[in-house]
Amino acid sequence: MEGLKYVGKRIPKKDAPLKATGQAVYIQDLKLPGMLYGKILYSKYPHAKILRLDVSKAAALPGVRAVLTGADVPNNFKFGFLKDNPPLKSGKVLSTRDEIAAVAAITQEIADEAVDLIEVEYEELPGIFDPIEAMKEGAALLHEETKSNVLKLPWKFVNGDVEAAKKESAFIAEDSYTTQWVTHCCLGTSGCVASFDVSNNLTIYSNTQIPSLAQNDFLEALKVFGLKNKRVRVIQNTIGGGFGSKLDTYAYEYIAILLALRTRKPVKVVFSREEEFLATSPRQPTITRISQGCDGNGKLTFREIEMVLDNGAYTSWGATTPSVMMVPISSLYKVPNIKYTAKCVYTNNTYSQAFRGYGNPQATFAIESCLDELAIKAGIDPVEIRRINANEPGEVTPQNFRITSCGLKDCIEEVVNRLDWKNKHGKRNGRGVGMASLIHVGGAARVYKSDGCGTIIKVDDNGKVDVITGSSEIGQGSETIIAQIVAEVLGVGMDDINVINNDTDVCPWDVGVHASRTTFVAGNSALGAAEKIKAQIMEIAAKNLGEPVEALDMQDGVIFSKNDREKNIPLAKVLRKAHYTLGGRMLVAENFYDPPNENFDQTFRGNLSVAYAYGTHGVEVEVDRETGQVKILNYIAAHDVGKAINPMLLEGQIYGGGLQGVGYALGERMIWDRGYLKNGNFLDYKMPTVRDIPPVQAVIVESDEQAGPFGAKGIGEPGLVPTAPAIANAVYDAVGVRIKDLPITPEKVLRALKEKEGQKV
Amino acid sequence: MGSFEYYKPESVAEAMALMEGSGGKGVYISGGTDVMVLIRQRKLSPGCLISLRNVRDLDYVDTSSGLAVGSAVTHNAIAKNDLIQKRYTALSDAASKVGSLQIRNVATMGGNICNAAPSADTACPLLVLDASVVIAGKSGERAVPIDEFFLGPNKVALGPGEIVKGFAMPAFSEKTGSAYIKHTRRQAMDLPMLGVAARVTIRIDGNEIGCRDALCTIDNISNVLKRFEDEKLVCEDARIALGVVAPRPMRAKKAETALKGKVISEGLFEEIGEIAASECQPRDSIRGEAWYRRDMVRVLTKRAILRAVDRVIRPDDTIWPERLW
Repeated sequence: MEGLKYVGKRIPKKDAPLKATGQAVYIQDLKLPGMLYGKILYSKYPHAKILRLDVSKAAALPGVRAVLTGADVPNNFKFGFLKDNPPLKSGKVLSTRDEIAAVAAITQEIADEAVDLIEVEYEELPGIFDPIEAMKEGAALLHEETKSNVLKLPWKFVNGDVEAAKKESAFIAEDSYTTQWVTHCCLGTSGCVASFDVSNNLTIYSNTQIPSLAQNDFLEALKVFGLKNKRVRVIQNTIGGGFGSKLDTYAYEYIAILLALRTRKPVKVVFSREEEFLATSPRQPTITRISQGCDGNGKLTFREIEMVLDNGAYTSWGATTPSVMMVPISSLYKVPNIKYTAKCVYTNNTYSQAFRGYGNPQATFAIESCLDELAIKAGIDPVEIRRINANEPGEVTPQNFRITSCGLKDCIEEVVNRLDWKNKHGKRNGRGVGMASLIHVGGAARVYKSDGCGTIIKVDDNGKVDVITGSSEIGQGSETIIAQIVAEVLGVGMDDINVINNDTDVCPWDVGVHASRTTFVAGNSALGAAEKIKAQIMEIAAKNLGEPVEALDMQDGVIFSKNDREKNIPLAKVLRKAHYTLGGRMLVAENFYDPPNENFDQTFRGNLSVAYAYGTHGVEVEVDRETGQVKILNYIAAHDVGKAINPMLLEGQIYGGGLQGVGYALGERMIWDRGYLKNGNFLDYKMPTVRDIPPVQAVIVESDEQAGPFGAKGIGEPGLVPTAPAIANAVYDAVGVRIKDLPITPEKVLRALKEKEGQKV
Repeated sequence: MGSFEYYKPESVAEAMALMEGSGGKGVYISGGTDVMVLIRQRKLSPGCLISLRNVRDLDYVDTSSGLAVGSAVTHNAIAKNDLIQKRYTALSDAASKVGSLQIRNVATMGGNICNAAPSADTACPLLVLDASVVIAGKSGERAVPIDEFFLGPNKVALGPGEIVKGFAMPAFSEKTGSAYIKHTRRQAMDLPMLGVAARVTIRIDGNEIGCRDALCTIDNISNVLKRFEDEKLVCEDARIALGVVAPRPMRAKKAETALKGKVISEGLFEEIGEIAASECQPRDSIRGEAWYRRDMVRVLTKRAILRAVDRVIRPDDTIWPERLW
């Protein structure tokens, strides 16, 4: 891959100037003629009957154009993965984020004021806030139509014989690990503007990560509302972060649609920061029972995991995260015998969603913490047990993942060397080192029937290239990556490429920004489209230059003969010749790339991804034995990325993921106390600030994935997957206490230290 | 956010007249980092805001005798002031840790104190630096010791319409050192889980204390102190103040008494920490558990005293950089 001009280069993000100068148009900035402002009223209680709901005062407030309640939702419409979530609840509320009424008014202030005028009388009901309680026999049912609070989902994977392997294991480590709610903290809060035309076709400006799937969701909703055969157009403004939070449609979007339908005006609903904390769906908390064993040489014999997830009151993608948890559970390191079951349980808490890593961080926290415990029992260095069991190219894992490229061993060695493991490990002097690895899908993930993405490329008279892609830019830099790939294939400059990626009326289909798939799938799709358009260009240029196609190449927008560079023609001229010729043609190419990966079968086997991403994080910490505070002194994040299309953006993903992981490990948690969110603001939700950033070295390991565009694999999610266990392992190495409950707060560390020394707390 | 009148008086008298004319509905505003938050949260809906930003006679730092700081001086101005860094270090410690740089550029010490949150960072330093609050009212000026100024959570000894003009502190010699430790979960944009300020005045018979060649090291203060074991450094005067662990910022007076007149040693400071911990009344909240806060009072009181002592012994800031701590 020598002589690459754009791929592999540190090229700044295409949209950086817009964002840096404040010219990017976010949903907050959008204003349509006649637009009204919506506001939602949420439930006061986590579980209650609504005895009386009086909106008359709100409706009478000057400037209010509509007030809706659950009674105004047509035909009992519900949305979400299990269609258990009405956009406005009536009769009964199941959580404090339940939407019970909504207002549209001519200003935001009037809408806010009107919501306060809605009178609600509740009869409070006892709630269930602990999934273990909710599973007990005789527990009150959240959804009366179900037979149990445990969701009917088939999360179970078995390989080999765990019981037999237990008997044969020389060492077994077993424990429970728990994780907390964390939220995405997107800098741009959620919002949308819904607008109907005279024929009741819907245009919705949305922050979604899944324009094509959201379009479908909204179409389904319109059908239920009685609007058949309508069109839905989804337009995305600049999106201020996603991280999975926008992978499902939300009640507020349906509320905006219903308000727009009622008022015949465009209606905007934008969340305040407090609403963003309350009413978007976080990462789900888990209770994990894990047991792992190895033989006398440290070779892993089995892994058994039972998990309980707090689903919250309604069901979104959070309930499907066990499918991705299976990836590390079955395939991180070579483990022949596996047993995994997971239960998702309804509670009167907030319902959960997708969040970067999609369950992988919770599973990896248990696996990698427990692996260190196993190493201790077996008397093996934690590095050694990971070396012995590391995945390798050519391997087929218990879930039938076909491992192609795999740089895990290189990642481990990078960490060992850069952390000076030999000299720093095992000192117990208040300073310690720890490591943890990860596997994640790196070549898309076939979670739907399709895993595809379309690209259209057209070239205009001036030699400028429009790349119209199905994939969305949510801040991750896909626009730039796609432009680099097209620039490289075509031989035109970055500035000549315009990426269009925000309008379902224009853009081809894509399943969305998830599963770290965009560079791989949208990149491959764009690569194919670029090759197709290049062939067309070369065909016309060949005629004009009187040279065979094979002799031609293009650089910087000029096509030339490789034999005689004097024989050349600018791209723009080729285009004009194509257009201004009798019987002429336009230059447009389209390409749909659907990777050759597989859906899981009923036993959860199948090659989910074309390629798998690996990585190892190593961390050196200092623990203050008197205060319990953990300080990160050094952080190495080594990632097998196949090939870095843009090392600068890639490092950004690693830094960003790593820091999000540090927050997850050391401080972030949503405090839901008996159904009430106690810290729904940035003062009390302790997301790390710029001052808390540890020194992170992002190490790029390139394993050249043959199926990836220019050898690349996905990197969107991996950065935060192994962070928490790496830190937990380092804390153990520093002071000899293991924190098994995230986040690792100073209180927990100090309490563990005191208990270890036999002191009372 | 409702609508309100906004006034920009240029003198204390004019501001007080506007307040009197507001019929009890006026609110003074200075940096606005507390008032605006309350308004946006709809916890405060003033009839009018009376800005103190243009009032020149509230914006002064006078070092001619002791230290006098106007109430409209920003945290950043305090944090960067050479004399405050040198002689009133607890105050610059605290001012430099409030919120973020952007907040410190507008938020004023007067606002921090008058808001009277138990977590106000500058309160503990003022308590240990024997500050008095200079208050302007209709009948002229009066001075109230800072310890009597805080009445309870968000309650201070201000009459209707009165304005805090500033804070006055006595002069301290090079034998006095002070420190403030803010215990937080992150490095910026955080309130203290607890705060501890300490001031000590050290006496050594016959000799000058201070940096000597042997001491000009980057060694830990615990080790440095050991070199003074034979010389009997005596703690002549001491103040200890605690934030967040009581309804209002408080002095740990029993701990102070136990420290005064004693020959200093790290072991003594451990004991003082324990006394201070027994004096406070921390509560469980989402921001911290009571047992942890109490235990941190013990640990951080010791550390704050050590740091204050260090600032007397090694006054050159190049040899006690932040990383020592």
